[in-house]
Amino acid sequence: MQTSERRASLLVTVLAFAMPVVFVLVPLVIFLGYSFFSVDQGTIVHTPTLGNYVRFFTDPVFFKVFWNTIVLCLSVAAICILLAYPAAYFLTTLKGRWRYALLMLLLVPLLMSYVIKIYAIRSILGLNGFLNKALVGLGILEQPSTLFVFNMNAILLTLTLLLIPFAILPIFLALERIPQVLLRASDDLGATGLQTFLRITLPLSLPGVASAASFVFVLAIGDFLTPQMVGGISGFTFGRILYSQFGTAYNWPFGAALSVALAAVVIAAILVGERFGRSRGTSV
Amino acid sequence: MTALPRLSTIFLAAITALVAVLLYSPLFVPIVSSFFTVSHGDVDWSSPTVATYVSLAENHDILAALRTTLIVGVCTVILSVVSGTLLALYYHGRRSGRSVLQFIIFLPFLMPPIISGLALLIFFREIGLERSLLTVIIGHTVFVLAIVYRTVLMRLQSMSRTLVEASYDLGATGWQTFWRIILPNLSSAMVGGAILAFALSFDETMITILVTGTQSTLPVRLWAMMRLGFSPDINALVALILMFTVLLCVLAARFLIPRQVATQRN
Repeated sequence: MQTSERRASLLVTVLAFAMPVVFVLVPLVIFLGYSFFSVDQGTIVHTPTLGNYVRFFTDPVFFKVFWNTIVLCLSVAAICILLAYPAAYFLTTLKGRWRYALLMLLLVPLLMSYVIKIYAIRSILGLNGFLNKALVGLGILEQPSTLFVFNMNAILLTLTLLLIPFAILPIFLALERIPQVLLRASDDLGATGLQTFLRITLPLSLPGVASAASFVFVLAIGDFLTPQMVGGISGFTFGRILYSQFGTAYNWPFGAALSVALAAVVIAAILVGERFGRSRGTSV
Repeated sequence: MTALPRLSTIFLAAITALVAVLLYSPLFVPIVSSFFTVSHGDVDWSSPTVATYVSLAENHDILAALRTTLIVGVCTVILSVVSGTLLALYYHGRRSGRSVLQFIIFLPFLMPPIISGLALLIFFREIGLERSLLTVIIGHTVFVLAIVYRTVLMRLQSMSRTLVEASYDLGATGWQTFWRIILPNLSSAMVGGAILAFALSFDETMITILVTGTQSTLPVRLWAMMRLGFSPDINALVALILMFTVLLCVLAARFLIPRQVATQRN
């Protein structure tokens, strides 16, 4: 090798390691370190303590919000799958160009500005919003209801609307991967459509469902903008509590500890998704 | 799939249609509102107007935020494409340390943005870097790096090894092979990755809110305005951004789906 090439290769090596280490790993390690610090009269005390974690587990307020947020995000994942599965299944019954055109159509809303979608959904769900107008117009409601604005329902509905596309894609891919020969064999052996679905299609698509659930859950629990925008006073989620530690409460170490709890849930959800998303092979 | 009974097909089609309506309703509301007057959920269909677009062109706050967004986007694209390509070239065909560093690169993408943003916020404070556009650009680059890296790496892996070997057989040096063979083969993946990186940077809100100084990008500006309830010209902006993002994605798809898959495999 020539010296210029060797020097270039050394430079590339340094760059390759420096960038991720300096700007990703180091900040996260410092952040983790902060969770063991404490605050005294507005200044951060750099002495290690487990106090933040003890407070998180023992203070009923924080743990209750934490738990409620997990339940909320599991509900979002469940609703997304209930809507996405039939849609993804329908797509796989289509032939050729239509299948992918419709898939694109259902994925395009992902690209739209997140903040703008949250705002638009809020205006749909609001007291004078389109949803209330429609429900009153159809005679389902007597007068506009506050059921869908500034509470947990609003967060649930908004997150569901935002995250459905993330559920459609993995389920569609899993369904598409099921070998046609299995379905034809099942048909030849005299199974009804329902039997084929329950015994072949559904079990083979479960890894896709697991990935979809894990995606949606992780994105929902990590979201802060939606609860902040549509949650109001009664829609309080873990993300908002966490953020408040960095703003009004000014307790960065405690906020860091709450973030570690959030990260632990996210990592667990990703691992569960990976585990079940790959457990069954679909190859023949 | 085998043929379904008609009833279940209708049922499935109905749910798919419902999902499409749910997904598109938040996109249509601002667009309709940008051309018609909407008050208390009622649309006045009788008087289409482009007044909102005119007042948008005079909104200096928004135009300044748009400029900031573009500056951040362009810098992020340059930084992430250069470093993402270097990383992909470096890790391609190398085993040691690859999985660990690849995991680190993907961390900001896997972690909730609020965690990445807060970690960077504390980091910048610890090293004494003032919050500014520079910190925003670093935050965005770290966030989109995984996408560019992955795009380029996938193209590298699908690239035929024989091209590089032929180049060496014909007497080319390492640099010549890189400039004449590897880079031209990667260029469309780099362009596609760049477009995706720009689109992600254009929409990134959470990290930006946390690490920005006095200048805000478009989503952050919108975020601040929405919390107070905002003026109708924002609807016009929303309609324009929608068209812009769709255009970006069509472009990205064009560059990322290889046109000569067959010839590359031979």
